[in-house]
Amino acid sequence: MKIVVAIKQVPDRDAPVRIAADGKWIEERELQWAMNEPDAYALEEALQLKEKHGGEVIVLSAGPERVGSTIREALAKGADRAIHIVCDDLGAGAGGGLRNFDALGVARLLAEAIKPESPDLVLTGLQSEDLGLCQTGVILAELLGLPHATLILHVEKTDAGLKVKRELEEGWFQSIEMPLPAVLAMQSGGNKLRYATLMGIKRAKTKELRAVNAAELGVEAAPVATLEQISAPKKQKSTQMLGGSAKEAATALVEKLKTEARVL
Amino acid sequence: MPPSLPILAEPTLFSLPEMLLFTALVFTSAWLFWRRFGPILGRILQSKKDPDFHLFPIGKRVWDFAWEVLLQARVIRERPLAGVAHALVFWSFCVFGLVTLNHCAVVFGLGFLDPAGRVGRLYFDFAAIFAVGCAVGILGLLVRRFLVRPKWLGELSWGSGLVALLIFALMATYLAAFFVTTPGGAVQALWWVHTITLLAFLPLIPHTKHLHLVLSPFTVFLSRGSFAHIPPLSGDEDFGLVAGKDLTRLVSLQAYSCVECGRCMEHCPANATGKELNPKEIVLGLRGYLNEFGPQSEEALLGKYESQRAAFECTTCGACEFQCPVGIEHVPILVGLRRGAVNTGTWENDYGSKLFLALERGSNALGMSAAERDKFVEKSALPIFDGTQEYCLWLGCMGAYDPRGRQIVLALVRVMRHLGASFGVLRKEKCTGDPVRRLGNDLLFQQLAEANLEALTQNRVKKIITICPHCVRTIQEDWKEFGTPPEVEHHSEFLARFASQLPSVRDEKKIVFHDPCYLGRYRNVYDEPRQVAALAGELVEAPRSHERSFCCGAGGGLAFLGEETGERVSHVRVEELVATGADVVAAACPFCNTMFQDALAARGDSAPELMDIAQIAARGLPEDGT
Ligand code: SF4
Ligand code: SF4
Repeated sequence: MKIVVAIKQVPDRDAPVRIAADGKWIEERELQWAMNEPDAYALEEALQLKEKHGGEVIVLSAGPERVGSTIREALAKGADRAIHIVCDDLGAGAGGGLRNFDALGVARLLAEAIKPESPDLVLTGLQSEDLGLCQTGVILAELLGLPHATLILHVEKTDAGLKVKRELEEGWFQSIEMPLPAVLAMQSGGNKLRYATLMGIKRAKTKELRAVNAAELGVEAAPVATLEQISAPKKQKSTQMLGGSAKEAATALVEKLKTEARVL
Repeated sequence: MPPSLPILAEPTLFSLPEMLLFTALVFTSAWLFWRRFGPILGRILQSKKDPDFHLFPIGKRVWDFAWEVLLQARVIRERPLAGVAHALVFWSFCVFGLVTLNHCAVVFGLGFLDPAGRVGRLYFDFAAIFAVGCAVGILGLLVRRFLVRPKWLGELSWGSGLVALLIFALMATYLAAFFVTTPGGAVQALWWVHTITLLAFLPLIPHTKHLHLVLSPFTVFLSRGSFAHIPPLSGDEDFGLVAGKDLTRLVSLQAYSCVECGRCMEHCPANATGKELNPKEIVLGLRGYLNEFGPQSEEALLGKYESQRAAFECTTCGACEFQCPVGIEHVPILVGLRRGAVNTGTWENDYGSKLFLALERGSNALGMSAAERDKFVEKSALPIFDGTQEYCLWLGCMGAYDPRGRQIVLALVRVMRHLGASFGVLRKEKCTGDPVRRLGNDLLFQQLAEANLEALTQNRVKKIITICPHCVRTIQEDWKEFGTPPEVEHHSEFLARFASQLPSVRDEKKIVFHDPCYLGRYRNVYDEPRQVAALAGELVEAPRSHERSFCCGAGGGLAFLGEETGERVSHVRVEELVATGADVVAAACPFCNTMFQDALAARGDSAPELMDIAQIAARGLPEDGT
């Protein structure tokens, strides 16, 4: 099976996030970067499918120079080769964020890079940890003209194609059979991730890493959605005194916990 | 020279057939010796070179050699009775070197020690004293091995018995020659019995654990140079001890030097609590591997001769390495096997992966958000290090994220404020990499070490103080592979320096101090924490203390690996500490602290109080620390 995994590099969880001066994106200069977690699960699924059924895993990532470290990490974990869509417009250089490439633009880039590979399966994370749009995978499927499914926890190859397990709300799951080729947007937590190894990193150095740019792919930045402003969540603290007898207060408290705080 | 001293009887004339017979026997014996020893030596020399081995500075080597080999100090100190018996045998062997040379030389009329001459007589009598000691010693060892049979000596071996009898025969025949007064047949017969015993002994050496006679002086002299030293990997194809081709000369030499005395096993906390790991078997496993597959083999080490499970049960407490009388370095071997498994991704363990992933993406081994540390620093109003303060207070994962660790840090902070010592904490800190280093994840360790070294340089840190002996060790020793770490000291050393300025609260408490492995054996710091602990009352000692201290079970990354099989190391240790009748268990490591906390809780009530020495030092201070 030939599998393409689209991964995104996002700010590291512990990185200090500050809003940039223009208020349109975060200050990217002092950030550390890491692989988007749902994408890490997509990669893991791809590697396990390859281990079971053979084939090839190709990682694909769009972004500036710095994305290289995440690509190497994916190669170190076991991907066979990589395509880096070098695109400074996605990074700090041109302001980053959504400015020049929105989800549609990124999906176009990815789709153009994927087409010549004609893979059996395209995997990507369900959403990114920074923007959280949940759209790229779905648009990508549309652009490639392939069937897709989202929120996937588990993939099984069958004679006819695939059997996938989707996560629904409230602990419900759905099992779907679908044909190949297909695009799947993976949910986190379906597998156990593997750790990076020294041997993996050393071997990764000898693996093919091809760089292409937007112009070579024939994709122009033409955003249809723009990001106007971002802001940190406002910290709010409010105290309410519940009067009445202990019983009344308790009843009111339970009510509030249920309806307002929604923790019950 | 008093004329009453007995004189050794020695044959004076040998016939030609006797000379020829003797020569033939010597060659046969030497050939039998070499037939076995040659291939062993070959396997050692064909092993890979040790990447960071330096003969110099040689002073420490000479000292270790004199102390451990010539004086047998380690052998005696750790097992006095058997040690002295062994030392007597060893010293006699040294003294007998000359006697034996002379014994052989007389065949050709070349004897250089005249039994009747002044020097010769003196020397032979001198040797006779040792012969008596040796005979008594070897009988003692024989009784111990075959009648007392301590379990760590393992199964009875015919070889050891035979060798002991031969040594006894050598001494007996030597001594008997003093009592033969008439020259003739009896003298000749004694000489021949002595000679044949000697020539039978020689080929036995490489066939039995007595190979250590030849190898262990080299093993001690050619050590790695420092305790539990983890050597760097060399080149792009070195991932640790994966297969025979990765065994270095030192490892192979050590594998063949083991005398199977079982000291390592006796002191191993994993082995004592029913785990599979037995450090002696780890060493003998390598020997078995080398004998079967050789030093250039691609056959995986973890397999027929070594167990992966056992390798990952080691707490890296170093008790084995510290005890080993022939200088075998178990910790680099065990960590080497783990490196081989982790660096190639063959180790699969849910807890281990979780730890690795937590450190690949986050900053600490506890898998918490770095914001938790920020909050703690802010809430406790810890000053930020800006290059003007004397100390950089390194929190470590436990000090920054663990509730008990934080209490220890805050106690130390109060004391430092009281003493007027200036300090600050870094804005960001990453795990030093201790657990991943010991678990053999070189990729992650390098990333953590490099990131931290860079941060320390940027912040112009000159001196670090920390409550965690694991941080101390990792910063000072392990980071050296990737740069020059700043000076680092454990808080016990700092507190001991100022002990006289600290209030002692003497409320008649009995205190037992537990030596953390990474402070004691690893850093040789035993007195300082005791000095601090003594501020709170009277010190009592656990049966196993100082360099014999018994691990808490947390080291080597095991604190993060979940349930143990068999008994818990921490429970065994806590029982021992409680049995001293102490009111306070004093710890000096946040890992020991949590392990004991859980173990004490599991015992139920009436448990002694558990305190870090920083908390003891801070006890008499007013609340605000001024
Ligand atoms: S280091 Fe400690 S736990 Fe590991 S083998 Fe040696 S004695 Fe046992
Ligand atoms: S490794 Fe050392 S301590 Fe252990 S049995 Fe061998 S010689 Fe004895």
